[in-house]
Amino acid sequence: MSLWRDIKGTLQPFWVTLCNMMRRPVTVQYPEQKQQMAQRYRGRLMLTRDPEGHERCVACHLCSAACPVDCISMQAAEGDDGRRHAAWFRINFTRCIFCGLCTEACPTLAIQVTGEFELAGRDPLKLVWEKDDLLVDHGGHTPDYNFYRQSGVGVAAPRGGLPTETAPVDPKDLMP
Amino acid sequence: MPTLTIDNLSVTIPDGSTIFEAAAQLGIVVPHFCYHHALGAVGACRMCAVTVVEGKMPGLKMSCMTPAEEGMVVETDTAQAMEFREHVGEWLMTNHPHDCPVCDEGGECQLQEMTISSGHGVRNYRGNKRTYQNQDLGPFIAQEMNRCIQCYRCARTYQDYCGGRDFGPMGSRQRVFFGRFTDGMLESDFSGNIVDVCPTGVLTDKTFRFKTRLWDLQQAPSICPHCSLGCATVPGGRYREIQRVVSGVNVQTNGHFICDRGRFGSSYVNHPKRPRQARVDGTNVPVAQALNRLRDKIAGVIAEHGPGAVAFVGSGRASLEANWLLKQWARSLKCPAPVFELHPRRGRAIRQAVGPLSSHLASLRQVRKSDLVLVIGADPLNEAPMLALALRQAVREGGRIVVLDPRPVDLPCVFEHHPLTQEQILCLLAGRCETGLLNNLLSELMTARRPVLVGGSDLLGGVGLQLLGHLTESCDNDDRYCLIHPLLPRVNSFGGGLLEDAPQEDLLERLENGRIKALVCLESDPGSEHPEAGRMQLALSRLDYLAVFDCLPTHATRRADLLLPTATTVEGDGVYINNEGRMQAFSAALQPGIPIAAVTAGQHPPREFMPETPGSQPQPAWQMLQDLLGERHSVTALRRAMEQSEPRLEGMSRLQPGDEGIKVAPQDPEPVEESTVEIWSQDGDLRLLPVQSCYGSEVASSLSQTVTPRLVTPRLMVHPQEAQQRHLQEGEDVTLKTAHGLFRLRLFCDERMATRRAIVPCLPGTPLEIFVPGGLSLPCDIEGGAS
Ligand code: SF4
Ligand code: SF4
Ligand code: SF4
Ligand code: SF4
Ligand code: FES
Repeated sequence: MSLWRDIKGTLQPFWVTLCNMMRRPVTVQYPEQKQQMAQRYRGRLMLTRDPEGHERCVACHLCSAACPVDCISMQAAEGDDGRRHAAWFRINFTRCIFCGLCTEACPTLAIQVTGEFELAGRDPLKLVWEKDDLLVDHGGHTPDYNFYRQSGVGVAAPRGGLPTETAPVDPKDLMP
Repeated sequence: MPTLTIDNLSVTIPDGSTIFEAAAQLGIVVPHFCYHHALGAVGACRMCAVTVVEGKMPGLKMSCMTPAEEGMVVETDTAQAMEFREHVGEWLMTNHPHDCPVCDEGGECQLQEMTISSGHGVRNYRGNKRTYQNQDLGPFIAQEMNRCIQCYRCARTYQDYCGGRDFGPMGSRQRVFFGRFTDGMLESDFSGNIVDVCPTGVLTDKTFRFKTRLWDLQQAPSICPHCSLGCATVPGGRYREIQRVVSGVNVQTNGHFICDRGRFGSSYVNHPKRPRQARVDGTNVPVAQALNRLRDKIAGVIAEHGPGAVAFVGSGRASLEANWLLKQWARSLKCPAPVFELHPRRGRAIRQAVGPLSSHLASLRQVRKSDLVLVIGADPLNEAPMLALALRQAVREGGRIVVLDPRPVDLPCVFEHHPLTQEQILCLLAGRCETGLLNNLLSELMTARRPVLVGGSDLLGGVGLQLLGHLTESCDNDDRYCLIHPLLPRVNSFGGGLLEDAPQEDLLERLENGRIKALVCLESDPGSEHPEAGRMQLALSRLDYLAVFDCLPTHATRRADLLLPTATTVEGDGVYINNEGRMQAFSAALQPGIPIAAVTAGQHPPREFMPETPGSQPQPAWQMLQDLLGERHSVTALRRAMEQSEPRLEGMSRLQPGDEGIKVAPQDPEPVEESTVEIWSQDGDLRLLPVQSCYGSEVASSLSQTVTPRLVTPRLMVHPQEAQQRHLQEGEDVTLKTAHGLFRLRLFCDERMATRRAIVPCLPGTPLEIFVPGGLSLPCDIEGGAS
């Protein structure tokens, strides 16, 4: 029994090699040849925009709290229209381990992974990306989601103006 | 003391406690919203359901409303209780806007915590959400009513605990709203507390809006530096900027709340003009070099003119450690001991509080529990706001408050006010004037069970406090002391007084007659603290050498020949002793440095590394003084050495920041200087009383930009009778004539104040800064029209 297994074990690898010798090679001649990464590949991060073109990120600090290596920092600020946004937002890609935990934490789907992985360089400072570097002009993997159309604080729609809301009450009304 | 079983653990608790409190003692937190330690239970939210398995009334019960009974068996995690709590969590969330990412409560939200602990996760309700319009509640509080769960904590805090009248619940059924009748700044001086108690993000700190999440905040237990009560606070900041202060918990002093001056008046730490560089003769140098220079310079002056030519000034702003080391330094040089209070009359008052009164000092807790409080010569809301809140609690428990003060005193409670002038009060205490009122009060004090006398040191001075001391002693009986709660000028005035050996000659005279060649000021500013501020500034400008340790920009730091930047309360460790002799430790929440936001104008922080943090030179004063003395002890070792040299500080080395603090030992009774009653000449019929105002009178809040909306404008206040006699109208601009000069001020009338008195607030940074509180009233006159 075990002899048969040994013979099989010796020949099978040769067979596998032989088969693959006949196939078209799968090796990509990187860097001459570029590879399209899988959809869920976790590469460099980006900050996306909502369908109305506004910055999605509300600087809630959840990504920076989730990040195991503490490479995200930011400061929130309030816009004239009551929109909370990042006054500045920085990711230090020299530290990032591309775990994607930040994207899982993000409640507005602002921070998302891209397929980009070519981040090597000689100057570490070039790997410290600021908000302008991170911000893209599309919605990434989730083009339709708009946080301010889900949560009722009267930014995208007037107060009480979302489909899931009733118009603001009049607290001085005494009708039963 | 019933013993009961909760979740198979047995616990014994005081009579009258509830199941909720018993569980809390075991470390079991039953989910809750409307219960708050300081406010008690109202049973409004139904979140705290537990199952009573054995007891008089078994079944599902609200733990915060059900008294604990002997032999009861309670389970918090029965299927019945958990299902009930999950439903309650779900109902409370039906209207919630789900906007946590943009909510400032995120990170410290009780609604998040309790909803998760209730087990509710998926929303089943398909109806629409109720919404509200928000109100503008002023510069301190932001409101987002859509997040409200109607727990009534804010209303209970604002109206019941703090006595505010302009905020509360309105409306009926689904429309219940918490706010003001119309938009506008909240009137109460304790408005910030509704931020701390609101379990959701409805009420948040507007000055802290969108700044930092709790998990990024650098915090440490600290002591409020704004007045002598020494309330427990927790300042927090990030990126080298102080961003907010919340109340700490100390049941002996402030309890769970603080006043708005303590909460919103801390931005002086970020002040752009703060001294941040050691400076010698106009040139910036490293701290070590400045210290060497100071040592050499003082040695030089002593060699030339003798040790009497160097004077040291400590202060009620500096920590006990720094003041003590200053004293050691003076002693090692054989120079006269430091002065710890530049205002001689205030100094005498502090000496009374530290010495003869020390066996009768009442804590704020005792004020809250008192049944009769006599407030003499004090205006709590302006001098020590949390005292006003303590007085309100006394009234809520059935106590009575009687106030003798010339000012139009306002308190958030019912009280009896006798608008007597300063000298009338002193005469009354000395038994020299019409004594009918005093006799009535005395007989009430004799029969009261927990009487407390509050004495304002600014109005009463040393003599007044001494007389108050005699009064308390005469009202003592076998069962209890009649206690006294003196208000002192500054947060560590008591500490300075305790280190003082013997009263000293007034510094101004020593400066003016040229005996002093070099002056060392530790976090004190003679030019604004001495009653003769103008003369003092002149004397300082003629002084040979002025060395200043300070964290705030003052007259002294501008004039200094040698400047050493010190750390503020939130940037260093130390101990303050409050007005009732309680030593309390504070610790550093931040490292000193220019806030990143100020360095980069709100943009991205710099991308390049710098070898040194900008503006990080300031150090706690005690560290620099140790360097001067050639020592480097840890703060604990230093405190141990202090205990040994000052037996009254026993226990100091055991202090932990955030604890209740330890009272200093009372002074052994010893004969004290007998002083005569201050009766001063009464020429002219109108006299001027410069007083403290809540915001802007003490230097830290005057430099805090956040409280600007609450500052009073320079003004003159008189009784309507005085205005009428002079044919003046309220609201017109009048000229105040005093020995310090002429002032154009707007006239205000208040019929609650004493007649024949004019009142001005002391406001550093305005023309009125020449007036310093704590003195006797001054002759003055008022004229209408253009001067
Ligand atoms: S991918 Fe991971 S390491 Fe990188 S920023 Fe996100 S959480 Fe941090
Ligand atoms: S979690 Fe998302 S919304 Fe929040 S700060 Fe990060 S990127 Fe912005
Ligand atoms: S505003 Fe806050 S404290 Fe007041 S009832 Fe609503 S949730 Fe409770
Ligand atoms: S009462 Fe005084 S010590 Fe207390 S918080 Fe207010 S200012 Fe600070
Ligand atoms: S905490 Fe008991 S009912 Fe609200």
